[in-house]
Amino acid sequence: MSSSATLAEIGRPLVQRRSLWHYWRGGLRGSEFTWAVAFLVPYVVVFLAFVVYPVLYGLWMGSRPGLYVELFSDPIYQMTVANTVIFLVFGVNLKLFLALMLSGFFMRPGCWTKLMLLVYVLPWAIPSLPAFISIHWMLNGDWGLLNNALYEVFGIDGPSWLNSRWLALGSAICSHLWKWTPFWTVILLAGRMSIPQEIYDAAKVDGATGLHSFAHITFPLLGNLYLVLTLLATIFLLGDFNTVFFVTGGGPANTTHLLATLGIRDAYDMGHPELGVAAVMSALPLMIPVVVVLMRKLKNTQVQL
Amino acid sequence: MRGITRRSVIHGSVGLVAAGLSCPHVARAASTTATVWWVQGFVEEEDVAFRKLVADYEKASGNTIDYSIVPFAPLRQKVVSAITSGAVPDLVPTTPAEAYVLFAWNDKLIDVGDVIATQKGEYSETALLSAMCYNSVEKRRGYYGVPTVSAAQPHHIWRSLVEKAGYKIEDIPNTFDAYYDFFKDVQKRLRARGERKVYGLGFQVTTNGNDPNNLFNHFLIAYGGAGIVSKDGILHLDDPQVREAAIKALTYPSIAYKEGFVPPGAINWNDADDNTAFHARQVVMDFDGTISTEVAIIKDRQDYDDVVTMGFPLSNDGKPVPAQVAIGVTMIPKGAKNPDVAKDFMKYFIQPEVNNERLKTGLGRSIPAMPSIVKGDHWWFDDPHRKAYVELGLLGPTIPEFYVYNPAYAQVRNEHVWATGWTDVMQGGLTPQAAAERAFKRVEEIFAKYPIVES
Repeated sequence: MSSSATLAEIGRPLVQRRSLWHYWRGGLRGSEFTWAVAFLVPYVVVFLAFVVYPVLYGLWMGSRPGLYVELFSDPIYQMTVANTVIFLVFGVNLKLFLALMLSGFFMRPGCWTKLMLLVYVLPWAIPSLPAFISIHWMLNGDWGLLNNALYEVFGIDGPSWLNSRWLALGSAICSHLWKWTPFWTVILLAGRMSIPQEIYDAAKVDGATGLHSFAHITFPLLGNLYLVLTLLATIFLLGDFNTVFFVTGGGPANTTHLLATLGIRDAYDMGHPELGVAAVMSALPLMIPVVVVLMRKLKNTQVQL
Repeated sequence: MRGITRRSVIHGSVGLVAAGLSCPHVARAASTTATVWWVQGFVEEEDVAFRKLVADYEKASGNTIDYSIVPFAPLRQKVVSAITSGAVPDLVPTTPAEAYVLFAWNDKLIDVGDVIATQKGEYSETALLSAMCYNSVEKRRGYYGVPTVSAAQPHHIWRSLVEKAGYKIEDIPNTFDAYYDFFKDVQKRLRARGERKVYGLGFQVTTNGNDPNNLFNHFLIAYGGAGIVSKDGILHLDDPQVREAAIKALTYPSIAYKEGFVPPGAINWNDADDNTAFHARQVVMDFDGTISTEVAIIKDRQDYDDVVTMGFPLSNDGKPVPAQVAIGVTMIPKGAKNPDVAKDFMKYFIQPEVNNERLKTGLGRSIPAMPSIVKGDHWWFDDPHRKAYVELGLLGPTIPEFYVYNPAYAQVRNEHVWATGWTDVMQGGLTPQAAAERAFKRVEEIFAKYPIVES
């Protein structure tokens, strides 16, 4: 064995260790590193106390297998899972499709468009609680605003919107769409505005207009954004409590619960907090893959036009 | 000039942290302070009354009451969270009414027999029965809540709507089924006069909130099912009289709904919706707890005087129907840091003159748990609404809630087992008999989880 080779072999691990240590210190030295740690510590402490600890405590509360046996055998839970899937399918896809279409409309020039955008965004700006409570009262089948309007204008008695499972669930989905579509529209509008106009001009020269432009330019360029928004909307909607709680109350007869509202019902109305946590945690097998896919999509990917 | 240096910032930060860590030492020195979570009243005057009581106590005792007034629903969540986590206040009223029996079952409360002993002779029998709960860990009954108020469910009736139908209030029959049938006839007559959307019966046939539980129990008791749970905590669904009463209690309201005498939306009402419907004059008669329905419109004198507060008719076989009274208790969770101060505060609180003053300042929405309070003060009889309510919930025949004998019935209430039976009839297409059998099965399953074994 040559001495130079030996020196190289000895030197290599030392260089690697120094690089790793240098990496963890972020290139900082001495008191600079100390100051960095000092500023980081409060954030870490708060994060551990208010995020990590509650999550771990919740996981521990919902960790008993017997809870899931009790949960899965409850017919209300089974119905709740079905409601959650329906709410996700329609709530997310309709919402984003509408948002995509409306974002195109609001790209039109003109001050009237801008004014309409301002009005359109108002539902999102209004606080959820008074909005959904008002919707609950408007949907009352006997003296709500909607049925009164139907009677006054068309002379017909409208249905009892909150008295049957499917009408009530549909009402909750429509309320959710009314409230949250503006938010996603604005994001997609921003996405459209970031597409260079030159691409459309070049395509116009080649004769591409209208649907062709949308199919071959707009949608491919918005594709990644649309997918990310779909995943985000799924995550947000899995935790949606206000819509169903204030519009339908989970009724009639506990037939319109989502996992979030059922969790609260089990935790506080039933006085069984562990069961409530288990109900919410049963969404994790869906939520975790969605989050993983979202994290992967947030890496840069190229778009082929 | 000396500027800010890193050393001075470090020294200053360490000093701040040290000062913060020393605060608990200061707090621990204030051992005469009790932390109280109190429920917000339905009217502002109730909160004013509570604040005044606290101020008077602090002046008299030298102790401090560190209180928070929390709305009903959030307080319920806070209490469950606190008792689950162990970070409890010193004193909190039971929210909802049946929560304390479940906490007592799980040995989460401190025995307050010594507090009750100071006024035991003043309490009604129903109040004392209600305060005594079963502890499944110690396998004994004890006093785990200090009664402060009573709550019953009177009828609330619009006189003007009854008269518009061509009747007088005095025409209302005094036997059970005929009493409610009367309002069906009122509805028919009002509809014939063009009142398109008025309904005779404000039955809360919903699976939300407390109202449906109270409604079912009222019908159950009236039909002879008061023995469904005996004082020893045993369920008596095997008693043919109880079974028949339960089936009838599932039948009348659900059939009235199907026949169109109850607002269709009632199937999904929450606890506030029936009050809203009544105030909007969409229902002629509402069966609802306390006189909050009247107190909410006390400033509108015309409407206030138009509402009639009425007790119960006789049963179908001519016997008085007892009012089932929910006793509001205040409890001291185990783990409370200052239980002695909390007990001292409650001993002050439940003195008849103190409690009377608080309830009167709160417009009499709740009634006391001590008959002597109302007997000694004509104020409770000066107003027709208060008079009717006091006669129903305190001076007339009363029985406690079934859950005081066995907390299993609290779970029956929480799951709305009986209200689900109504839904099975109204929307599920089941006969009342079939719906009852399904409900009986669930009730028996729940009771099997709460065996009472007294040591």
